[in-house]
Amino acid sequence: MNDNAPTPRGRTLALGALVLLGGFAVMVLEIVGARYLQPWFGGAFYVWTSQIGMVMLALALGYGVGGHMADRFKKARFLSLLLAPAGIFVLLIPQMAPGLLDGIVDRHVKSSAPALSAEPTASEAVRTGLVITETNLLAEIPKDFLEGKTNNAANNLPAPPIDEAPPSEIPAVWRKLDPAIGSALVFLFPCFVLAMISPFMVRLAARQVAHVGTVSGLVYAASTVGSIAGVFISAYVLIDLFTTTQIFQMTGALTLGLGGLCCLIDWQWPEDSQDD
Amino acid sequence: MLTVGLLCVAMAEGAVRYRSQSAHNQIVVEDKGGYRMLRFNGSMETRLLIANPLLGHFEYTDYFQMPLLWNPKAKRVLVMGLGGGSTQRAFQGYYPTVHVDTVELDPAVAKVAKEWFGVKETKTHTIHISDGRGYLRRNKNRKYEAIMMDAYSSNTYGSFIPHHLATKEFFQLAAEDLTANGVLAYNVIGTYQEWRADIVGSMYRTMKTVFPHVYHFPAADSQNIVLLGVKANTGGLTSATLRARVDLLRRAQPKMPAYFGPRLARIRASAPPSAEQSPVLTDDHAPISKLLVPAK
Repeated sequence: MNDNAPTPRGRTLALGALVLLGGFAVMVLEIVGARYLQPWFGGAFYVWTSQIGMVMLALALGYGVGGHMADRFKKARFLSLLLAPAGIFVLLIPQMAPGLLDGIVDRHVKSSAPALSAEPTASEAVRTGLVITETNLLAEIPKDFLEGKTNNAANNLPAPPIDEAPPSEIPAVWRKLDPAIGSALVFLFPCFVLAMISPFMVRLAARQVAHVGTVSGLVYAASTVGSIAGVFISAYVLIDLFTTTQIFQMTGALTLGLGGLCCLIDWQWPEDSQDD
Repeated sequence: MLTVGLLCVAMAEGAVRYRSQSAHNQIVVEDKGGYRMLRFNGSMETRLLIANPLLGHFEYTDYFQMPLLWNPKAKRVLVMGLGGGSTQRAFQGYYPTVHVDTVELDPAVAKVAKEWFGVKETKTHTIHISDGRGYLRRNKNRKYEAIMMDAYSSNTYGSFIPHHLATKEFFQLAAEDLTANGVLAYNVIGTYQEWRADIVGSMYRTMKTVFPHVYHFPAADSQNIVLLGVKANTGGLTSATLRARVDLLRRAQPKMPAYFGPRLARIRASAPPSAEQSPVLTDDHAPISKLLVPAK
């Protein structure tokens, strides 16, 4: 035990960066993820509800499991073993998620009625090279009609409407729960792993019970500052400048990078990671 | 409390008739100067003349009748976004044989439209409570001659197009649910030159990736531009074909309103000037908030 030896400054910075960037990545996934889910689950309200709820669930699980694992394994590189698959998972969201989300939505489509597939395709008519201007478009239409001075005399009514099968309605309960299932499938695992960083860092940074309060407070603060940055940078900058595919790729790469940083911490300061 | 309430009413020179809060909107119905108005989160959605509900509506909704030029004997059309039901009332009044399906996200809006704006579910009008894109996705059986898009989310800062209803992938989905001659009409809030010109340009370009012909109608009394995407790739309008379409429609729809002609006269066929530098919107990248930043 070397409780009184000062913690190397570089190690403290590395641990802080891990916590901060972990918090950042979680909120990028939450904010960009909510937008990503909208083409499948539509209108914003239940999508946001489920996305927030599922990320909170991931955090709760990650904190609980992460703290337990930290006491048991103590080495930062244990986290790398989880951050690597989480990073790859996030990298692959654009390829993997659409199929899963299609499945959730399309299970409500009643396939019993045959699809009207016999619709004739529009013929490839020769496109005239004519440039149409607004005035010549209207040239042959009676002036009194364009001025609203006439009405119609003819009265051959069209046939009454034919009623085809209506599209299946989604039951109210699934309208609410489907987005939560979608959020969970795509975002629960990576956010769970990222949430494990914080309790792990408390274990690695706290040298004495007397300092646990200070250390854990700093870890909460750093993680939350990272999350705040993640929220605003995602909404104000990333969504405007990048495609969601690119944002997921960058977040996946960041998660892999955090795994690398964990290995670096063990390699650079081996004695600090081993004391007990 | 009562005094404060009366003071507020007096200041607004109108009477709040109804107020409710749903999961999606704060809804207010207000009567003022012979008009009834519907506000979502402070922004005005609809108005009508209480004495004649077929009048007093926003003029831009009239352009939702233009798809009938390609489908004079339309059987079934789809309207996304109910609001106070201006479009639905016009179709019921002027084209009574056309069946209207309305898709509205918020059940509370449907309730208000029925109680305060005379919207009825009849043999020729059905309301579906659903997200618009989800409805199109689940619809495998019905083909529509026209789809009209007026689904906005509003707040005190203005009205915003939900991005998942404005992308290339959305228009591909909509085109699948249109008949061979089907037409999609989209209300875009914006102008050609300045305010929100980029979103008008982007919507034009995005629709053009799916629809061979896109026409547009700038509203006369508000900052709305209605874009018309025509699915059939059978040559664009010429003065002769437009004349023929008008004649067919006048014969098929004897009750059509006299204002149809003056509205048609506002048709434009060339690309809006802002289209050139505005991006195509996709599910992967739809920077709508960036496009809404006013041009310098």
